[in-house]
Amino acid sequence: MSTRMPSECLRFLGPVLLSHLMKLLLVEDEPALRSTLLEALRQGGYVVEVAPGFDQAYEKIKLYRYDCILLDLTLPDGNGLDLLRALKADGSTAGVLIITARDAIEDKVAGLDLGADDYLIKPFHLSELNARLRAIIRRRQFQGQHHIVFRDLLVWPEQAEVLVRGESVPLTRKEYDLLLYLLANPGRILTKEAIAEHLCGDTVDTADSFDFIYTHLKNLRRKLQDKGADNYIRTMYGVGYKLSSE
Amino acid sequence: MKLLAATNRYYLAVVAVLFALASGVLYYGMQMALRHEVDEQLGLHQRQIEALVRVGQPLVATPFADQFVLSSWPRPLGLADTILPDPVEGTCVPHRQLTFRLLAQGQPRWVTLRKSLVETNDLLAVVLGVMLGVLVVLMLSILRLNQWLSKRLWRQFHRTLAALRHYDLQQHRPLVLPQPRIDEFAELNQAVTHLSQRLVADYESLREFTANAAHETQTPLAIMQAQLEQLLQVPALATDPTAAPLLADLYGATRRLSRLHQALGLLSKIENRQFGPTQRLNLAAVLDEKVDQLAPLLEARGLRLHRHIDQAPVLAMHPGLADSLLHNLLYNAIKHNQPGGSITVRLSGEALEISNPGAAIGGDPSRFFERFRKHSAATESPGLGLSIVQQIGAYYGFAVTYGYAVAGQVHTLRVAFGHSAAGPTT
Repeated sequence: MSTRMPSECLRFLGPVLLSHLMKLLLVEDEPALRSTLLEALRQGGYVVEVAPGFDQAYEKIKLYRYDCILLDLTLPDGNGLDLLRALKADGSTAGVLIITARDAIEDKVAGLDLGADDYLIKPFHLSELNARLRAIIRRRQFQGQHHIVFRDLLVWPEQAEVLVRGESVPLTRKEYDLLLYLLANPGRILTKEAIAEHLCGDTVDTADSFDFIYTHLKNLRRKLQDKGADNYIRTMYGVGYKLSSE
Repeated sequence: MKLLAATNRYYLAVVAVLFALASGVLYYGMQMALRHEVDEQLGLHQRQIEALVRVGQPLVATPFADQFVLSSWPRPLGLADTILPDPVEGTCVPHRQLTFRLLAQGQPRWVTLRKSLVETNDLLAVVLGVMLGVLVVLMLSILRLNQWLSKRLWRQFHRTLAALRHYDLQQHRPLVLPQPRIDEFAELNQAVTHLSQRLVADYESLREFTANAAHETQTPLAIMQAQLEQLLQVPALATDPTAAPLLADLYGATRRLSRLHQALGLLSKIENRQFGPTQRLNLAAVLDEKVDQLAPLLEARGLRLHRHIDQAPVLAMHPGLADSLLHNLLYNAIKHNQPGGSITVRLSGEALEISNPGAAIGGDPSRFFERFRKHSAATESPGLGLSIVQQIGAYYGFAVTYGYAVAGQVHTLRVAFGHSAAGPTT
């Protein structure tokens, strides 16, 4: 708590702290997916390097240090799990997020047992990828003692505390989850599907479940508005929602 | 009707007719033979008497007065049947008589020789009785023999039948049947084995195709989804209000497609038994987790959830499958609920029951578990949820049943754990 600073001071520092110094390695063999992910991650403010295969990835992890590695398990010239083993053998502090089309639960379990931080199954929402990445980096780099600043908003993830200009905003767990999800994707349009799956697990049949997102968003908006944080969440008609930076 | 009963029925009918015919033929045949014999004997006596008379011997009356009658008056000649009272027993007895004329000491005489037919009738009865008795015994023993033989010979057939009845294509093994000595059964077993081999091969290729298709489509879908999401972020999209919703629909459809493939992939993995080691799981804990996850959905639909946990069973299951089982059951109860309705979850050591109110559903309940089975065309879900529930149930030997209480209009899905808890059935 002693590290907490007035939100005004952190307002410009926050995004810098979180993103711009973060260096990622993207290990993905599919060119089209690789380029799209690269673009999205760079838009998120990360420094990203790519490795299309096992050998390049192996070379890179031996030579450089990364904050987080996005790892595809099925590579044409090797198994991503072996890269993970190599990383752990080197005592690397890098976070590892497994991305795999192999929905084999065994692989996930093996990956997590080997020390991966999280996993995502292809296809996934880019916004979900952002949220997971943020969570990993937050845990790894700051042991959770990190705060997120967005305009007048200050969030202490460790304490699950949300402040607007120093004033605490009481949120339910789902509303808080939703806010954190939005904060992981500032300025990005989040689809209804992505939000629904984030809140309810990825097996929810989203098509007929959007009504509950609306309820939660409405409540979250109202609570932020009560504290003077007006018009932060914009509705993109027929698409989804966006955390607006203006 | 059993084959044996059917053959026996025909057999008995034929035997009965033959029996009646044979009895008749036997009776009349024997009677004729015996009469002929009597006639011959009478003729022989006639010749003997005539020979005696010719050498001049006198005709003497015998003590058996009724068998030898002499008359001076003409009597009808030839063989004839007659009935005479038996002097000893006093009853009427059928007789055969032969009358002839001869000259004794120059006097014409009419001689009548008679023979009682009582003995021949008795003989006839004995012979017929013995014959028929033997026939009956023969027939009964043939019936018994048939029964015994069919039990013995058809054993192979019943074995094949039992093997077919217990055959499960999901085990991916062709039938292995013994080679009986009887050609017909050997051929049957060969044909059945061949059929099962072909079935397994076809099923195998279909299964592989499904699994590969589900897997291979995930990568292009991932590209589509990621690029569509990136496209949604393009600022130029804001200038045209119709473009973004179109893209969003496309995005949603991509998502649905990938979900469908995930569900199919899961199904084929369960069928392939590709799920590794099980863990001892407290189902109540998994249930709590799932309910927690689906809470926003329950809340949004105004559904109340009642949990009755008598006993929290600890089952040996794969955590992913336990999760999927509960998710699909709960999600099904949410989807097919009424606004402001409720969901009742009962968990005990024996079974898990999830009920929800709703109007009766037409159709055969057993078909609800089929793939792509939808209760209403409006829903966008592919209708694989209950199919997955059933497959997981089958995998662990749980009985999954559906019930509908008309009175309260309550649908109930029940998963009985049975005696398993020892991991997947093989």
